[in-house]
Amino acid sequence: MENRPLEYDYTVAKMFMLTTVVFGIVGMSIGVLLAFELAFPGLNTILGKSAAQYTAFGRLRPLHTDAVAFGFTVSGIFATWYYVGQRVLKVSMAESKFLMFIGKLQFWLYVVGVAAAVVSLFMGYTTSKEYAEFEWPIDIAIVVVWVLWGVSIFGLIGIRREKSLYISVWYYIATFLGVAMLYLFNNMEIPTMLATDAIGETNMGSWMHSVSMYAGTNDALVQWWYGHNAVAFVFTVPIIAMIYYFLPKESGQAIYSYKLSLLSFWGLMFVYLWAGGHHLLYSTVPDWVQTMGSIFSIVLILPSWGSAINMLLTMKGEWQQVASSPLIKFMVLASTFYMFSTLEGPIQAIKSVNAIAHFTDWIVGHVHDGTLGWVGFMIMASLFHMAPRVFKRELYSKSLMATQFWIQTLGIVFYFTSMWISGITQGMMWRAHDEYGNLAYSFIDTVNVLHPYYALRGTGGLLFLIGFFMFSYNIYKTMTAGKRLDSEPANASPMGA
Amino acid sequence: MNKLYLWGLIITAAMLGATYATVGYQKGGLNGDIVNMLAIAGAVALVIITIFVVIKYVRQMQTDTATGELADESWDNIGEYKNPVPFGWAIIFLGTMIWGMWYFLVGYPVNAFSQIGQYNEEVAEKTAQFEKKYANVKGDQLVNMGESVYLVECVACHGLNADGNGEIDAADLNQRISEKSVKYAVIHGLTGKLLGTESAMPDRSGLMNANNNYAPITDTEIDAVAKYVADGFKDKNSAGAKVFAGTCVMCHGANGEGVAGMAPQINAWNSQLVVNVLDYGKVGTIGKMPIMDRLNPKQKEAIAAYVMSLSKGE
Amino acid sequence: MFHWLEKHPFLFAVGVFVTIAFAGLIEIVPNFAQASRPTIGTKPYSTLEIAGRQVYIKNGCNTCHSQLIRPFKAETDRYGHYSLSGEYAYDRPFLWGSKRTGPDLMRVGNYRTTEWHENHMMDPVKIVQGSIMPAYPWLFTTKADIETAFAEQVTDQEFFGVPYNKPIPMKDGTTQVVKLAKSIAGANADALAEAKKVASKMKNQDVKDIVAHGEVPEIVALIAYLNSLK
Ligand code: HEC
Ligand code: HEC
Ligand code: HEC
Ligand code: HEM
Ligand code: HEM
Ligand SMILES: [Ca+2]
Ligand SMILES: [Ca+2]
Ligand SMILES: [Cu+2]
Repeated sequence: MENRPLEYDYTVAKMFMLTTVVFGIVGMSIGVLLAFELAFPGLNTILGKSAAQYTAFGRLRPLHTDAVAFGFTVSGIFATWYYVGQRVLKVSMAESKFLMFIGKLQFWLYVVGVAAAVVSLFMGYTTSKEYAEFEWPIDIAIVVVWVLWGVSIFGLIGIRREKSLYISVWYYIATFLGVAMLYLFNNMEIPTMLATDAIGETNMGSWMHSVSMYAGTNDALVQWWYGHNAVAFVFTVPIIAMIYYFLPKESGQAIYSYKLSLLSFWGLMFVYLWAGGHHLLYSTVPDWVQTMGSIFSIVLILPSWGSAINMLLTMKGEWQQVASSPLIKFMVLASTFYMFSTLEGPIQAIKSVNAIAHFTDWIVGHVHDGTLGWVGFMIMASLFHMAPRVFKRELYSKSLMATQFWIQTLGIVFYFTSMWISGITQGMMWRAHDEYGNLAYSFIDTVNVLHPYYALRGTGGLLFLIGFFMFSYNIYKTMTAGKRLDSEPANASPMGA
Repeated sequence: MNKLYLWGLIITAAMLGATYATVGYQKGGLNGDIVNMLAIAGAVALVIITIFVVIKYVRQMQTDTATGELADESWDNIGEYKNPVPFGWAIIFLGTMIWGMWYFLVGYPVNAFSQIGQYNEEVAEKTAQFEKKYANVKGDQLVNMGESVYLVECVACHGLNADGNGEIDAADLNQRISEKSVKYAVIHGLTGKLLGTESAMPDRSGLMNANNNYAPITDTEIDAVAKYVADGFKDKNSAGAKVFAGTCVMCHGANGEGVAGMAPQINAWNSQLVVNVLDYGKVGTIGKMPIMDRLNPKQKEAIAAYVMSLSKGE
Repeated sequence: MFHWLEKHPFLFAVGVFVTIAFAGLIEIVPNFAQASRPTIGTKPYSTLEIAGRQVYIKNGCNTCHSQLIRPFKAETDRYGHYSLSGEYAYDRPFLWGSKRTGPDLMRVGNYRTTEWHENHMMDPVKIVQGSIMPAYPWLFTTKADIETAFAEQVTDQEFFGVPYNKPIPMKDGTTQVVKLAKSIAGANADALAEAKKVASKMKNQDVKDIVAHGEVPEIVALIAYLNSLK
């Protein structure tokens, strides 16, 4: 039974692969525009004065963050789940009409939800809470999509042949549970429609509008308990699920250490949730909550690095693969950036360091070390690995992939060096006093010095985006023009020149 | 040396260089500020640790070989070694956990640290440090200090040259008062706190005609006196001088030097006047000047010196 | 023992859930009640101010501006007294922000004026050389949504017990009442009356025309909100 070849059904995986690419392009293009808006404010009216309110920085920024998080990344998570899930559980989607239906329903509802989210954000419907900007009707759509995904995960697990859950599945389960819990609590809001009754009027303003269930400091606590862990359960946990499958699979190597996987997983689960206080340092939340956030952030380095080290050690003795395969390069560098951002985060979580780093570009730099170098690279690598197997064709071009790798790496380097310098510069300028003990710089002084760094960051982002277009083209050509494969490659993905 | 280490060193050096340049750019560099120093130390540690730890593992990719006992399971043909956890990792993990518990339970239990306490200490320390220094800040130095505060606090409205921002029309501080403002004061009267307490100047119905015939002041007279006052009381033979002598002297003094407790000086700035504007704001024909009372007394004195220096020699 | 839990997906999931859930309780619950108590002198927002706050949120001002003054000398020198928890008691949602591309606005009402905002929002570079803040000219002609603002206030009052129409203690020992109308018509009238006061300090002709016409431009609501930040 163990060796019976199974015909896996990738219909849903393919659908989500498509949205990964599309939302990646949308989200990152907006990111590049935002980056250049800060360097050249004239771009705020790039589509003319009459459309200014739709292209101004403040309106667009949530579109970027939500498009890359809930569009690009979440699509990538779903796409890889519908691929990896079947394979490591040894069961095909084709075996259950019900799960197939759920999968497709999830996809279409997701697309509708994202479309509604994009339109509503453009129109300015937002609750302002970061990564939870959507108004209540879209929240409901998201919850439904999420529940469907849960049905799909546990449904597939229910009919599995492989009794023991592979590491990646642990992480997908955690993603599902974590996001479900966090999203629900942070989005508790009362639609203002409900107040209409109280006062006996009909039609009181916008039906989309709602009021947060929490006020002030409490709202902040809930928001960053959510916000920090949205990072954890969207940008970290599911990406670890990906690397635990795709790196050993692509390289043909066995995972270095089961114990390390185990300790890292439970360590991460336990520690992550305590660290949210580091977004609220020196705010009005109680001192002990802040201290707790800082301490757990430091502890968090180890379970984070545990997974990354496990991956690097899995490649022990396999340097020739790293050197020759751009696909493996993506994953090894992704591990590295994961280590970088999970050391950078804890350092920024030290209260005294945060006194400078908070509110500055250094945080934005930290964010993109993680999102570009880790999330972006891993999702693209996963799709590269999946493409030949779901389309049954050779990857279109290896040299294009290699070029993309170097262009994007350079892009990330520009991004984080510029934000590093501009963040520390601005943080120190805000604090600086002159020889008489007065503030040394007016606020606008601290804005004006940043111009070159903003321009450099924009350039780095543009390089990354160009690389993403190369990626999209490569996948598209693989689908349509790649050399056909008669059998599925066991490990190293076959690539055209 | 291995190429990797070379690259590691190059990247480290580049980041350190960039950070060094960043610090060098600041007025006063690190400024003796512990927060600045810790941030820089953290940044430096970040680069060095990540680069050299990763290089360590990459070296293993280059030289080691994978070994170990394989687990029975294999998922989609992915195997799993039963290798032990890396010793260094385990020790440090354990260490951070113990440290964390110590810190939270023994080191700084619940409310042992107060950020407001820390703030109060910071303020007290800086205040003490600068109070000593303030005693000796006088003359040109005071003007310099005033300019420095001005550039941070006031530029947004009064402009870089203190001539009032053309767009929003804040007062031109290079002169004591504009013709427009004098006219406004005379026509509408004022109920501000230029003297430090609420003090009223009557409007035109309460200001006599220069001929002292109990008729209120006329438009022509207002124009004339406004010109005279705004020009700095120069033309003693003008019609404006006559009006002033007839109508305004009793409150503002013969040359507009002001009368204590009665009416403000209007021929030139004086320190108290500026401080009063900062403490109580001012509403006039130009607009509303906000209260800027969060500045410390020395800063106010310095700004006043600066403002007074602006209209000197004109 | 190893691999045992991984063969029992349900228990595994429960284990994960418990592990991640309880940290949240410890982080959030203990301080919940205390943090929501207003400081003396903190008032709920008026209808016009809420409408302005909605304009602020709609245009993502919070993506560039914080409203949280941290207890550092450099920060209190620049922006005024550090923030206190109770000052946010009526902030739903909170608007602390996480990025200071522009300055903090927690107390901007203390040191900027209606006239200043009018000019700055129309074209920031004209007022502050080198500003990278976008211009917001359309706010001078688009109309503020007073009805939704009113609905928000009613929600605040009905669901969260925000003390409208009740005496609020002030720092100087007096009390003040923030009025909440009983109907949409009343709310519109209140907002307009307040808007007229703000608009009387403004020069823009569009604004004057719209207010004269009995409606409230978004910019007027926004400025009323900014002025209330103290
Ligand atoms: C009854 C006393 C009185 C008389 C008469 C009087 N003033 Fe004044 N004046 C004051 C007071 C008091 C103030 C300060 C008002 C305030 O604090 O807002 C003042 C303020 C002013 C100011 C404004 C100074 C500033 O910095 O903005 C001007 C200009 C001025 N007076 C001009 C005149 C002229 C010209 C006349 C005669 C035509 C005149 N005053 C007559 C009492 C008087
Ligand atoms: C929000 C804008 C704004 C800021 C900030 C501001 N001012 Fe003003 N200031 C004004 C306006 C408007 C007036 C004119 C008031 C009037 O109509 O007389 C004024 C008037 C003054 C006057 C009185 C001029 C006169 O003719 O009587 C002085 C002095 C002054 N400002 C100094 C300062 C200083 C010093 C600072 C910084 C610490 C400062 N201002 C900050 C707007 C501002
Ligand atoms: C792209 C970022 C950005 C956005 C979006 C933005 N601002 Fe700004 N804002 C700035 C910068 C930078 C400054 C400092 C330079 C200046 O004063 O123009 C500033 C300054 C200000 C100031 C002056 C504060 C002070 O202390 O001088 C106010 C008030 C303000 N903004 C309000 C707003 C409002 C209201 C919105 C939304 C409708 C908004 N801003 C949107 C970047 C932004
Ligand atoms: C050990 C792990 C990590 C710790 C302790 C950590 C810590 C931090 C800290 C201290 C901040 C800044 C808060 C502030 O001052 O505003 C932050 C912000 C952020 N981090 Fe991390 N980080 C970690 C890993 C990651 C990873 C892997 C990512 C993946 C992308 C990531 C994404 C983000 C994001 C998106 C923000 C911005 C949140 C906001 O909008 O303000 N972090 N993190
Ligand atoms: C093409 C590359 C990209 C560019 C040029 C870019 C640019 C930007 C810019 C300019 C900002 C706003 C920073 C500010 O307010 O100062 C931002 C924020 C953010 N971006 Fe990107 N971005 C890119 C890709 C991505 C990707 C792929 C992700 C996620 C997978 C991502 C996640 C985020 C997040 C989470 C924030 C919010 C950070 C915070 O609030 O601290 N970005 N990005
Ligand atoms: Ca929501
Ligand atoms: Ca943020
Ligand atoms: Cu976090």
